Amino acid sequence: MGGPDPDQPPIEDYGLLGDTRLAALVSSAGAIDWMCVPYFDGQPVFGRLVGGPEAGTFRLGPANRSTVVSRRYRHESATLETTWETATGRLTLTEGMVAEVTGRLMPPTLLVRRLTATGGPIEAVVEFDPRLGEQHRRPDSRRHKEILVCGWPGLAIALHTAPHIAITPGQPTTVRIEPGEPFTVALAVAAREPLVHVPPAAAWDALEADERRWRAWCMDVHQSLPRRDVVLRSLLTLQLLTYSPSGAPVAAPTTSLPEVLGGTRNWDYRYAWPRDASIGVAAFLGVGKQDEARRFMAWLLTATRLDRPRMPVLLTLFGRHPRPERVLDQWPGYARSVPVRDGNGAAEQHQLDGYGWVIDAAWLLTKSGHPLYGETWRAMAGFADTVAARWREPDAGIWEVRGDRAHYVHSKLMGWLALDRALRIADNHRISRRRKARWAAERDALAVDIIERGYDPARQTFTRSYGSADLDAALLVLPLLGVEPVDSPRVRGTIDAIRRELTADGPLLYRYPPGQDGLPGTEGAFLPCSFWLVQAMAATGAVDEATELFDALIDLGSSLGLYGEEITPVDGRYLGNFPQALTHATLVQAALALRDVDGSSRRL
Amino acid sequence: MDWAGWAVFGLIATTALTAAMIAAQLLGLTRLDLPLLLGTILTENPDRARVAGFFIHLGVGQGFALGYALFFVLLGRATWWLGGLLGLLHSAVALTVLVPLLAGVHPRMASYRAGPASRAVLEPPGLLGLNYGPRTPLVTIVMHLIYGVALGVLLRIG
Repeated sequence: MGGPDPDQPPIEDYGLLGDTRLAALVSSAGAIDWMCVPYFDGQPVFGRLVGGPEAGTFRLGPANRSTVVSRRYRHESATLETTWETATGRLTLTEGMVAEVTGRLMPPTLLVRRLTATGGPIEAVVEFDPRLGEQHRRPDSRRHKEILVCGWPGLAIALHTAPHIAITPGQPTTVRIEPGEPFTVALAVAAREPLVHVPPAAAWDALEADERRWRAWCMDVHQSLPRRDVVLRSLLTLQLLTYSPSGAPVAAPTTSLPEVLGGTRNWDYRYAWPRDASIGVAAFLGVGKQDEARRFMAWLLTATRLDRPRMPVLLTLFGRHPRPERVLDQWPGYARSVPVRDGNGAAEQHQLDGYGWVIDAAWLLTKSGHPLYGETWRAMAGFADTVAARWREPDAGIWEVRGDRAHYVHSKLMGWLALDRALRIADNHRISRRRKARWAAERDALAVDIIERGYDPARQTFTRSYGSADLDAALLVLPLLGVEPVDSPRVRGTIDAIRRELTADGPLLYRYPPGQDGLPGTEGAFLPCSFWLVQAMAATGAVDEATELFDALIDLGSSLGLYGEEITPVDGRYLGNFPQALTHATLVQAALALRDVDGSSRRL
Repeated sequence: MDWAGWAVFGLIATTALTAAMIAAQLLGLTRLDLPLLLGTILTENPDRARVAGFFIHLGVGQGFALGYALFFVLLGRATWWLGGLLGLLHSAVALTVLVPLLAGVHPRMASYRAGPASRAVLEPPGLLGLNYGPRTPLVTIVMHLIYGVALGVLLRIG
């Protein structure tokens, strides 16, 4: 098996291509180094990102020395455009995946890539090296007329180029691109069904039609959002990371991109967290996308059905429990970061905060004029009962710490939120008085418990867990909950203490004191926490500071407006799985917080 | 052909099947909910859909009972084990053909090809209904065994 790849691009170099069923990561060299088929958590067919050179890649780009002069998504779309300057002219790669294939004889996965030249003819290279799964299995290749068909049991990939060139898997092929004569590649995938061959010209037309649909989708998003262009990119990214057949929000399309370069904090994020779905409900409701918000709630409802009234921490795209976590022994990992993991062991944890996020999302839906169906309300009431019964237990917390469970203050706050929002929903939905009284009693007891055991009066701050002196940046949600007035000394003291003690550099925050999770190495700053800080500052009246912070965070986005989970304070390199739905959702929420305190868009 | 028996016992067998399915759901064995799947063809409100779907399901069950009755007449006998065998065949067809094909005609069920414009909120069942939980095939087989055995015991061919 392959060793570490010395030429690996930084994580932030990658762009996201997607069709809402699966995703691909493409570097600025034009190499697709990550793509699982036939859905987000399927097997990688291009896995070089964490699997090394033998795990396959699909590169289209200049054959000789070149410089990237421009890289962007086409206006309000999911189509990516990269332009290189070469010795003989400029070469542009335009690429995307076709999202809407329903009702037409189209392959469910259709990747379209087009090279165009300006200024003069340019030598380009096509390196097509698909390898399937953990063992990097090479395909059985055959040609059907002008189409290259690569097959494995139950899976086939067809590569069709126009003009036709003979491509052999694993062997780079050069092609001369003349100005005015684009070179188009269509890649179709078929899993457990016949291949549908699409001529490259028709595939290109389908991609352009998709572009128009994305633009139309963006037009409905509220105009009053600050930095609307950035927010739109986050919303489009969230859409691309939502599995359309079930509505599941995928946390990230990758596994084991490290939280410490060369370290062991490498997790599989190709699953859906109810927490992310709930934050997605709030984000999409806030920008005027009611249908998307309701879809997340519908997914939450169906996916949690087998576990109710317990809420699982994470689920597969179809609401199943993830496969057991295991290590891919032979995979070298990104930047020698091993192990590479498949599956996620956090699925078995008890995390109290999840209930708070979900019931709060239901409350937001009712507040925005969508009364809950009886079944939805019964599910939420069941979750509230679980919180009332279990809040005194320790849990793994939002950070999914894999050591001993603890009484995390953030978990208790979110437990309070769960009961409080359930009581608010109960004002307009049928529930027994006895149940309401129990929720109210437990909510009040929780509030007393949090202040008695989770607050450090000497430092005027809530702490990470009962009896601990550490802080937790997740507590920045405090002013958004209503458990304490926003101008309370406890709220302000906690925000100040977190800014003081967990600062990484500039706008960046660590989620907790580095190294306090029992794992080796020091992780980077956790981006969602900084976006929560924007919300906290906006909520407590520090609007100008919040705006400055938001702008500084926007500057930290990748050149394509994508965000990972963490960032290295020293050199700004991204860490963790990429792109990260939670970061993008909190970015949207931060923008909404700024808009809402402003009343109207005073900037931009 | 025992028409009165068909009318009464078809209803009883379908009710028994539905009750077994609801019990399996309440026990957390499966997310398969046929009344909901059928009722959401008419309405998106899940509570109303379940009521409508229950009656649609009764009608469908009555139709299948007619098939069972004709089969018994053709064989000249109706026994619990013949009913059970038919129930097994019925469950195999339901799991591999009927339920997976539902995604192709159901207005509120997404397919594996659904894109972002899809407003269908019901997830597709997938092969053998496995998207609704790993025990779904087992539950479906048991449900149809109950249905088939009930009809085999209750129906008369004379």
